[in-house]
Amino acid sequence: MRSKLKLLYIILICCSLLKVNAQEKGNTNYEYKKRVLETTEVDFLTSYYAQDGENAAVSGGIGTEELTDFTSTFVVSVPLNDDDILTVDAGISAYTSASSSNINPFDDGQGDAFQASSGASSGDVWSNLTLNYSHSSDDRNSIWSAKLSVSAEYDYFSLGFGGSYTKLFNEKNTEVGVHGSVYLDTWKAIYPIELRPFGANGNGLNDDFFDGRTITGNPNYDPNFTEFSDEGRNTYNVGLSFSQILHRNVQGSLALDVVHQEGLLSTPFQRIYFGDVEDSFIDDFHLADDIEQLPDTRLKIAIGGRLNYYINQKLSLRTFYRYYFDDWGITAHTASVEVPFKITDKFTIYPSYRFYTQTAADYFYTYNSALSSAAFYTSDFDLSEYSANQIGFGVSYVDIFNKAHVWKFGIKSIDIKYYNYDRNTPFNSNIITAGIKFVMD
Amino acid sequence: MIKRILLTAIFTSSLFSCVVVKEYDKVNLNDPDMVLTDKPCDRNITTMHSYREAASGANGGKTGGGCGCN
Repeated sequence: MRSKLKLLYIILICCSLLKVNAQEKGNTNYEYKKRVLETTEVDFLTSYYAQDGENAAVSGGIGTEELTDFTSTFVVSVPLNDDDILTVDAGISAYTSASSSNINPFDDGQGDAFQASSGASSGDVWSNLTLNYSHSSDDRNSIWSAKLSVSAEYDYFSLGFGGSYTKLFNEKNTEVGVHGSVYLDTWKAIYPIELRPFGANGNGLNDDFFDGRTITGNPNYDPNFTEFSDEGRNTYNVGLSFSQILHRNVQGSLALDVVHQEGLLSTPFQRIYFGDVEDSFIDDFHLADDIEQLPDTRLKIAIGGRLNYYINQKLSLRTFYRYYFDDWGITAHTASVEVPFKITDKFTIYPSYRFYTQTAADYFYTYNSALSSAAFYTSDFDLSEYSANQIGFGVSYVDIFNKAHVWKFGIKSIDIKYYNYDRNTPFNSNIITAGIKFVMD
Repeated sequence: MIKRILLTAIFTSSLFSCVVVKEYDKVNLNDPDMVLTDKPCDRNITTMHSYREAASGANGGKTGGGCGCN
């Protein structure tokens, strides 16, 4: 009996010791840490874009700007652990362009700046791969990320890398961030067809290109053309961001981007026509006097702000304003407003309006008005003075329970948006975009 | 220019004086429509703007790199 009591006593002591040990472990300061991303998410984004205009840069400020583009992108975000996320962003964009087809307007026989040609330059495919790695601190108040990107199309290759650091404080009411990126790009310069015989190894008017073709106007066609010796373009970007919660229904942000570019900033196949040089034609096509010449450096500064206001359970207000200026003489203002309106708990509509205005670059000339004595000139109407209005409408479907499934992925949201963009110059475009967010079960 | 910088500094510093909103009181701010970035499906329209317009940056979109010359 005594031995049994002793055994029971020992068991009780052991149990009490185990309990104390367990309590001590429980008292250790283990804070609950929510995963930054609970599960793998996939965004499928696609868009169809169509534009038209009458001021193609390829044909020196006149001619069709008709272009269509179809883009599809997958963005896959994978949680590597509680703190780290790897994002793979892969996209492909296929376009047909009437203006770039007129790099050689004689593919179909008769050259005409207002007609698309069917040659190799009438379309291309752009592909892109971006990898992004982000890490959040245990208290989720610090986030750093690193990025690597590669993109390529027939005449252009881009390699980019960058990083960012974000700090949250003031009970996550205030956020300050800094980011930087570098893009090392390379052109494979393609020149207008009629200028190629006047390049380094060309035969001028004795080239096969001019055989059987009659030059009207000035028959002694002698363009002022030299091939570019440097085909690299580097872009360096540093940015600051600041966001602040102003009220339980209002938050805003400020952003500053400083971009320095150097290298070949001209587009090699954009023609220029001089007003002080006699014109030469083949068929109805005006032969180029030169290609655009732009400075080999550019400094761009943009300052933007957003202010979002949660009006009530149905209605929100999203606003954006940006002031931009660069050392090519362009200043621009952008303002937009979007008013998300929840029709039901699953459907939201997104009417929006955007206004944009810019002044012309110092080097911009309209068709056939540049002077041959100038150092820099372009007839790219994207660098001209204009203003543009954009109206948009979108619908969003959100299912927080991800009921609908595709394989192992539940559909979290579907967004469809349409935008019409109209300049006060002869240019307009339309785009329809769609995005589907999947969440892995 | 100095005036603009001063105004920006005053505006920025005034933001810090706002009332701190607690986590449990951020329900409205956590609404998907209140995020201070564009929605993912707006990425291609933002890219189009950076191609067709001189201005870019300060909106989370493309600031350089790639061509966009079509």
